[in-house]
Amino acid sequence: MTSKTRANLFIGLGCLALGLVVAFIWVPLDTDTGLIEKVRRRVSIGDALAPTIAAAFVGLGGLLLLLSERNAEVQPFPSRNNLRFVLFFLVMLVIVFGVMRWAGPFAVQLTGSDEPYRTLRDTAPWKWIGFALGGFGLVVSLISAVERRLRLRTVIIGVAAVIALIAIFDLPFDDLLLPPNGDV
Amino acid sequence: MDVAGYIWLGILAVFQGPELSFLGFSLPATPVMVLCGFLLGIMVGATPGLAGPMAMAISLPILISSFGYNPDALLPVMGFLIGVMKGSTIGGAVPAILFNTPGTPDAYMTTLDGYPMTRRGKARKALRVAHFSSASGDTFSDVVLILCAPFLAVLVEAYLDLPEKTALLILSLAFIAAVIGGSIGKGLIATGLGLLAAYVGTGDDFYPRLSMGTQELAQGFPITTAVLGVLILGEVFKGIEDSLRHATSPGALQEVREEGDQSLRATDIRRILPFIGRSAVIGTAIGALPGVGSTLAATLGYTVGRNRHARRKAPDHKDFGEGAMEGIASTEAANSSVSGANLIPVLSLGIPGNAAAVFLILAAESIGGFNPGPTVFKFTTDSVNPELVVAFGLFTTMFIANALNWTVGGVFMRTMSVMIRIPKHILLPCVLLLTLTAIYVQETRLVAIWFAIGFGVLGYLMRRTGISPLPFVIAFILGGKLEETARQAFAATGGDPFFLFSSPVALLLMALTLVVILTSLRPKKEPASP
Amino acid sequence: MKRFLLAAAMSFVGFAAHAADWTPPGPIKLMIAFAAGGGADTQARLIAEDLEAKLGWQFIPEQVTGKGGLNLAAAIKDMPNDGTAIGMVVTESLGYNMRAADAGMTPDMFTPIVTTAGFQMAVVSLSSKGWSSFDDMIAAAKAGEELRFGTMSPKLSDLAYLIGKANGVDFNIVQVRGGRAVMDGVNAGDMDLGFMAGIQAKGVAAGDLVNLASALSEPLKQTPEAPKMSDIGVEFTADGYFLFIGPAGMPEDARTAIADAIAEVASDENSKAGGIIQKAFGGASVFKGAELDALIAGDYEAAGALLDAASE
Repeated sequence: MTSKTRANLFIGLGCLALGLVVAFIWVPLDTDTGLIEKVRRRVSIGDALAPTIAAAFVGLGGLLLLLSERNAEVQPFPSRNNLRFVLFFLVMLVIVFGVMRWAGPFAVQLTGSDEPYRTLRDTAPWKWIGFALGGFGLVVSLISAVERRLRLRTVIIGVAAVIALIAIFDLPFDDLLLPPNGDV
Repeated sequence: MDVAGYIWLGILAVFQGPELSFLGFSLPATPVMVLCGFLLGIMVGATPGLAGPMAMAISLPILISSFGYNPDALLPVMGFLIGVMKGSTIGGAVPAILFNTPGTPDAYMTTLDGYPMTRRGKARKALRVAHFSSASGDTFSDVVLILCAPFLAVLVEAYLDLPEKTALLILSLAFIAAVIGGSIGKGLIATGLGLLAAYVGTGDDFYPRLSMGTQELAQGFPITTAVLGVLILGEVFKGIEDSLRHATSPGALQEVREEGDQSLRATDIRRILPFIGRSAVIGTAIGALPGVGSTLAATLGYTVGRNRHARRKAPDHKDFGEGAMEGIASTEAANSSVSGANLIPVLSLGIPGNAAAVFLILAAESIGGFNPGPTVFKFTTDSVNPELVVAFGLFTTMFIANALNWTVGGVFMRTMSVMIRIPKHILLPCVLLLTLTAIYVQETRLVAIWFAIGFGVLGYLMRRTGISPLPFVIAFILGGKLEETARQAFAATGGDPFFLFSSPVALLLMALTLVVILTSLRPKKEPASP
Repeated sequence: MKRFLLAAAMSFVGFAAHAADWTPPGPIKLMIAFAAGGGADTQARLIAEDLEAKLGWQFIPEQVTGKGGLNLAAAIKDMPNDGTAIGMVVTESLGYNMRAADAGMTPDMFTPIVTTAGFQMAVVSLSSKGWSSFDDMIAAAKAGEELRFGTMSPKLSDLAYLIGKANGVDFNIVQVRGGRAVMDGVNAGDMDLGFMAGIQAKGVAAGDLVNLASALSEPLKQTPEAPKMSDIGVEFTADGYFLFIGPAGMPEDARTAIADAIAEVASDENSKAGGIIQKAFGGASVFKGAELDALIAGDYEAAGALLDAASE
């Protein structure tokens, strides 16, 4: 039996465990009112009931995979390569959004002005710096990763994508903020 | 105000609603937006790797920002989405017929006969057949929607009390979990996860449950992050990985060569009409059930058409799979007739049946002033029910889209063969940035982007483990409503723990739920192979 | 004459704002604790629009909904207090809700800025139920009819419970999300009566709905003959206002300037925001400064007594 056909076993066990953990640890610890509670002399449904039922669904689904779909013909499962890709992807996103968040404030600091970035967050060109650099980085690094080289065409696409998004979201609308300007 | 009055107001709301000025001309916004959405829909449908829901997801925040958060925005925005929904269905047939590459999943069956026709030099004729069948199926489906939705809604409102409404939601969720993806275990997992995500930060108590004491989770997951993350980003991640693995060069595309008569003659139409009719009925019936999408409709329509064709065809006609027009007609009529009918559960019950309907609900929720569900169809006589006007306005936009489908749709669709030349690995990163930006613009906090990425990873893993993401999304949308209705039913019945079983209708709905689950547990026969 | 007075009033308020001589140091983040598209959200966005047009200040509206305004409170608590972050909630958020949640937040962690309008909160039923007064409804309940009472917040659920208790009736209290949901529920027959905060005005005028009682300390503007809370045996009220708040310790000039500016557009029937306030609530109710501080503190105190009474 290859590991591929054991996929439903793994998924089933995983979901069963998840369901149990959620229902018996997370929900009781992280809700205030229990499954049912008594308010104003009446029994009413508490905040813990719905998440417990949701967890029961997850667990039950896992159980069904274990019991009745254990030998299903098609059982896809993510390979090690798939997981490596997700990890690569997440690291890249962290870097890109790190740049997006901090490039603007950093640029303001470089100019030596004592005005904080916060008050400039809706003023051109400051408001575009973080978004432009981060967005450009995202598009260019992904395309280049697929093509395994950096081409001039890719750079142009990156610049065009960022400009297009600024034109769509920022120029026409006064009260929309591009990332990261709502957080600063 | 009588029914005719409401219909008239709905039509007026479309043509006299908000206006767009363009080069000094002032045009009613809604029809223009329907047209834009329709053309965009054909374009994305014709682009392999993009699909209608993606275009709807991306355009939604832009549309809402342009039209504002007020009820006037509903018709232009939802009209646009309806246009995209309808356009992408016919667009999907273009690359399927010309290049043997389905532009949307439900166009897969179209390749079976479409591409052989192209190889025989009948590409344009195949496109015409696809367009004619699509537009016919669409029209049929719209008519059924308009006749059924108000009726069903009035019925629901008249006969269903809070406990029955709870039971109805449970039945829909069970149905969705059981039907989509073909594995009840996986369906339940996806449904459970969707409900769980919906319950984070919500609830009646002042303590935001499951928030682990953090401010970020206390507000819950914004609906856009969950829906766009799982549905769109999951697909984008998978697409990017696929193109990383198979370093792509689109390669030289074959030149499409044409010979002979390319027009669709009356005799042709007579030949394909019976197939269109059957498929339209099948597609409409399937569309009306929540959770069963156009892909199944296409498969079923094709199978039924094939069986009939095998029995009755003239000896000189091609078999299905060898380039029979009847094959294209069966598929396209079936998948196009889903779109109108799947608005029946949305408008009459507030239950979305597929991804396109999910985005319509998302639009209504983001804009406000329109709560899809039975209360919409309250025919008040002495004052105007604005939601009902919107509903009839939506019907009007569907007919506008339908008219566009018949007129410009065919011409525009035949020019779309260039879209296949856009490489996926360039398109997808741009879509990713666009989606994340769109989410931020609506939520204005970076943590929303991280939620969306987290849901994207979840959606990716679901795709890699063969768990359909659609039950997750629908459960997420219905989760809050389910809990609230159950709570209210419990309180309204004075704390009766058996409220789900105390009236005949509720009992019937719960029994149906049991039947749905039990049937899907039975070992399946080999599904009809395509 | 009226126009002259209005102009005089406007120039006076204009002068006051000018005297404060405060302008926001950057764009103002306007958090809104109400669902997009609803009446309260529209009011907030129109106030922002009016002020942008009038004073050139720049607002960036943002939805922070949930938990009766407490999510917004938690979010705004640690924002800069220079007037560049304000939020619109209801007085109940800082009163009953904060008290009941007991989550480490108290009203003094915020700067109350100004109220714009007061709720016209009433106990409402369909006229087709056949009740023309509060007593009719109580009589029906006493005759054995089981009644469902729709509410939209824990505080109102407590009040519904107390109304029942004072009149010897046991309601099935059904709490839903938002005033709109109460009205839909009552219209659909899912509930027999419910609290509505002004949304009922059109239905009452058309004769579809009946204001059985005022849930306020005062008579309703639309149907002054309906009994007040004190007339139906309840010592607590649903008096409440839309309230703008900021983080604690806002400088006095910023607080005054923002309060005056908002109060002015809210009270001006010819402004967009003032127009809808007039339509839904019969005019603005403005509290600011020391008077508002006292109102907020009083609400928080009274909440304790209400919580005690409702848990008996």
